[in-house]
Amino acid sequence: MESTGDTSVPPAADAEVHRRLIYGDESALAEVYTAYGPLVRRIAVRVTHAPAAAEDVAQEVFAQLWSRPYAYDTRRGSLRTWLSMLAHRRAVDWVRSEARHRKHAHADDSALHTVPEPGPGPDETVVDRERSLLLHTALAELPQPQREVVHLAYFAGRTYRQAAVELGIPEGTAKTRLRTALRTLAETLADPPDPALERGA
Amino acid sequence: MTEHDDVRDLLAAWAFGALDPADAERVPPHLAGCESCAAEAERLRETVRLLDGPPIGGLPARPAAGLPPALLSRRPAAPRTAAHAAPYAAAVRGLRALLPEAEGRWATPVVHDWDVHATVAHLLAADEALAGRLGIAARVPASVLPQDTRWEDAWNRRTADVIAHEHGRTPEETVADWAAQADALLATPEARDGELAARAEMLMGIRLPIADHFVVRAFETWIHTDDIGRALGLVVPPPPEEHLERLVRLAVRVLGLALGPDAAPVLFSVSGGEQWVLGSADEPVQAELALDPVDFCLLVGGRCTPEEVPRGATGDAAAVRNVLETAASLAWL
Repeated sequence: MESTGDTSVPPAADAEVHRRLIYGDESALAEVYTAYGPLVRRIAVRVTHAPAAAEDVAQEVFAQLWSRPYAYDTRRGSLRTWLSMLAHRRAVDWVRSEARHRKHAHADDSALHTVPEPGPGPDETVVDRERSLLLHTALAELPQPQREVVHLAYFAGRTYRQAAVELGIPEGTAKTRLRTALRTLAETLADPPDPALERGA
Repeated sequence: MTEHDDVRDLLAAWAFGALDPADAERVPPHLAGCESCAAEAERLRETVRLLDGPPIGGLPARPAAGLPPALLSRRPAAPRTAAHAAPYAAAVRGLRALLPEAEGRWATPVVHDWDVHATVAHLLAADEALAGRLGIAARVPASVLPQDTRWEDAWNRRTADVIAHEHGRTPEETVADWAAQADALLATPEARDGELAARAEMLMGIRLPIADHFVVRAFETWIHTDDIGRALGLVVPPPPEEHLERLVRLAVRVLGLALGPDAAPVLFSVSGGEQWVLGSADEPVQAELALDPVDFCLLVGGRCTPEEVPRGATGDAAAVRNVLETAASLAWL
């Protein structure tokens, strides 16, 4: 089992590590990389289903934090949820651009066979992957307050009560946000967005 | 709330596996007897299952310990400097980290009548004096000044000339020149060697060791970075603790010189830090004054007034006011 490495970091510690990142302290980046690398990779691989791509996404996420530290604002949430949401967004973008490339290469049959398909039968896997991508795309577009709770509960393994404490919101609010978020996702499946519109977007 | 309402509210958290054991135990008994909750639970759990996607072939290979070099190289490498130049090196990195956020907003008003672009141009001019003493050529054509110009006038005139010059160029060009000059300063032997930096130079109307002039550069770079951050709506954190201490120590020394040996003595301290007796050494202390180190720097930097600066003060109010007003009048920047 891979360790989750998710030691809880209070916001004051986030502010201090952010201060060190801004002033170019490499040891601060090393600490963040050790503390949140596993979470970021877990999210990236969950969305991309491709370990090599997930590693690229993870590098990109930490490169963003290092080269643009002001993109993270300590007033707007914890570093954990910010990295988590950035990793998710980048991973979804990667899969979508991959899907576009595959469509463009449609005529080239050999390209399809170069990607090994692990797990169950190929057809089932492809359908499941498409649905998974549809859901992750919808998740990436949820309002931030809902997304934060989902990230803590689903990716970081928090109970909704722990997520409430971490976000500084009432437990009932965390519970309601999870519910609104998951229902929105469920409705996305029942009523998927028009693929023609998706392509245009 | 009934058990039905209660459990129904928990179903999303349950589907995400985000219930603690006590909550989780309540779900199955209710689902066994409630068709509508069972259907909702199934729908939500299926959504989470689909979110999981098909089983994952493998996790990314666990990377080697330590940071990948490609990651670190996304920012210029930290220059190797002696301790006296480290605050300036960090302040330069801090401003470099902020400036990408000014993209498309270079004309945002900052301080005086400067926008972001002009503020960087001012730093290009302000660093130039020390750079010149250390043998680094100016990047902007020299200003023509009468021989006996006072240093403040020369200083203001130079800033005005450099800003006018830089407004004819792109902000990116100005930033590149400011950064290149800062890098050149940090690469001088005087930045790397404390002994070489012990030589005193007269700059900005004050004779100080070069090591201290480096600290002054850090001070000014940070204060203007903070100015730009405020203008852009971003919070610029104060310099790292050990650098802040150096800034405070130098500012206290300069403040002591400005007060002179005859001022009513005040025991001055910064919270969580050192304390000093300012003013006359021959009389008993007449007042005590405590300031937060960042507030003290902002006062000396002219970014907060003697009236508004938060303080802890006891004793003779006039002596305290004299210290605060002298600190503000240093008008370093």
